[in-house]
Amino acid sequence: MLQAHQQVQATDIQRRQSGTVAARLLRASRNSSSNSRLLRQIALVSLLLAAIFPLFGGSFFTRLAIEALLFGCIALSVDILLGYAGLLSLGQAAYFGLAAYVAALMYLHVTQSFWLVLLTASASVGVFSFLLGAVAIRAKGVYFALITFSVAEILSKITHNTRAIGGSDGLIGIPVPSIPLLPGLEIEFANNYVFYYLVLGTVCLLYLGTRRMLNTAFGSVLRAIRDNSDRVPYLGYNPFWYKLLAYVMAAQIAAFGGLIYPLLRGFVAPHLFGFEVSTKAVVMSLVGGVGTLIGPLMGSVIITFLESVVGSYTERHLILLGIIFIVFVVFLPDGLCGLAQRTFGAGRKVKP
Amino acid sequence: MIRITDLSKSFGALRAVNHLSFEAMPNCITSIIGPNGAGKSTAFNLIAGTLRPDSGRVELEGHDVTGEPAYRLAKLGVARSFQITNLFFGLSVLDNIRLNCQSLESRNRFLSRLDRLSAPVRRATEILEEFGLDESADELVGNLSHGDQRRVEIAICMALSPRVLMLDEPTQGMSPAETAEIDTLIKSLAGRVTVLLIEHDIDLVMNISDHVIVMHQGRKLFEGPPDEVRASPAVREAYLGAEHAAA
Repeated sequence: MLQAHQQVQATDIQRRQSGTVAARLLRASRNSSSNSRLLRQIALVSLLLAAIFPLFGGSFFTRLAIEALLFGCIALSVDILLGYAGLLSLGQAAYFGLAAYVAALMYLHVTQSFWLVLLTASASVGVFSFLLGAVAIRAKGVYFALITFSVAEILSKITHNTRAIGGSDGLIGIPVPSIPLLPGLEIEFANNYVFYYLVLGTVCLLYLGTRRMLNTAFGSVLRAIRDNSDRVPYLGYNPFWYKLLAYVMAAQIAAFGGLIYPLLRGFVAPHLFGFEVSTKAVVMSLVGGVGTLIGPLMGSVIITFLESVVGSYTERHLILLGIIFIVFVVFLPDGLCGLAQRTFGAGRKVKP
Repeated sequence: MIRITDLSKSFGALRAVNHLSFEAMPNCITSIIGPNGAGKSTAFNLIAGTLRPDSGRVELEGHDVTGEPAYRLAKLGVARSFQITNLFFGLSVLDNIRLNCQSLESRNRFLSRLDRLSAPVRRATEILEEFGLDESADELVGNLSHGDQRRVEIAICMALSPRVLMLDEPTQGMSPAETAEIDTLIKSLAGRVTVLLIEHDIDLVMNISDHVIVMHQGRKLFEGPPDEVRASPAVREAYLGAEHAAA
């Protein structure tokens, strides 16, 4: 009994004192979700800026902004898991890539109907995330991160080595369809402005939907799981289903980005599944502020633009990503939203 | 009422709980005492669904609940506290309590907006008042004093409206004054629920218990009202030590 007891005690202490990156991120995210008024204002200002951006941006930067929003979906999905359920996923790109490949293959070989592609991609991601989630969320902390990381890598390697779906070259020449929205009203992706506002509008809806979904009894149980998952069963909740629902939901949001990506770039490649995309999403949420939902979207815009600008000078832009990651983990673990909260001093102080 | 029959659990070669049987009657305080390593906490873990017993039965109000997972037992009305404070330190006191009240709400409301779920908040506020925690309702649990955290431990259990309240050393690390308060508190709760208590503080146990079970090396050594336990030579020898036996 003593042994078991000591084990319980040891895990307890580990949980509270561990200085790992994930633990730091978690601690930083604890309070940020409580300060919702300032976050709403931040979201509103971001939306206004985003709405007028194409007027000044020109076509290259408008398309870059679309890409930022699509990658922002992965960042948002990372935030649902990390900021609410306390699960650090290093493989959210798997769902982005999966949806991108399903969409690309459907357009190339099966149909030009956007709605049918949407349905197929969403269903395949749903099934895959349900199965993987059911296995992965039984593991805690770093083990969850490792499982998600390795599955994403496996998917990346499989696509890389399968000639039938393009192998290392990926799939190119994906036709860009038009979406029949209503009878007589079709949306043309060829027009950058239409494309941009469509994606912006959908990402807004995803953001609002996620916020609504997490501002519920369901969300409050997730926050409890993040805070102390061991105690949750004693309140009469089975953490498994809550975590699984959050996981499946997060996967769907990442999948939306992947669904649109082939239409933006006209190609898909194995790197979309890769570690680089997954970790970039984590850095994006960290930069914006974990647990804020709007932060990761902002982070995505910042990182994507920074990378594009720096990438035109040097190929080693990943170094920049690494430096940003370190700086934020060490000096600003609650991200830009956390900084804003402390600067404007609204509500409670965020514990470091 | 909760009835344990022939419960056993081993960790490797160690028989942590060895054919343990007892009953905890409603509206009574039943205490489990015993020296360190006697198997008290393991017995608790077996009853509350933290661990699965190797053999034996756990019955709640006559229904077999052996090996049920903790979340289902909680729904059935078994609430337990922890020896090492085990709360949601990053959430407010009110949120800690509310989560528990909320789990009693029907399942189809789990996607209702939080501010529309007023019943759990009302109930949580009542409980906070009862436990004298209403002034720190918005405080983070992590910022409370140890004594208040221990009080939240019990409050969070009562939020489940349990039939069986299992308290694992509720006064651990408390000052004598605080212990006395908890003492009164537990007594007042006993009118409503079956209380099962593990306690190191012998004075507290003898003061408030209706029934005492003494465990030693995984087995039940003795069972009876506090006076008989105090008088039993076997208990003195095993638990209270040689000095008491001599006195």
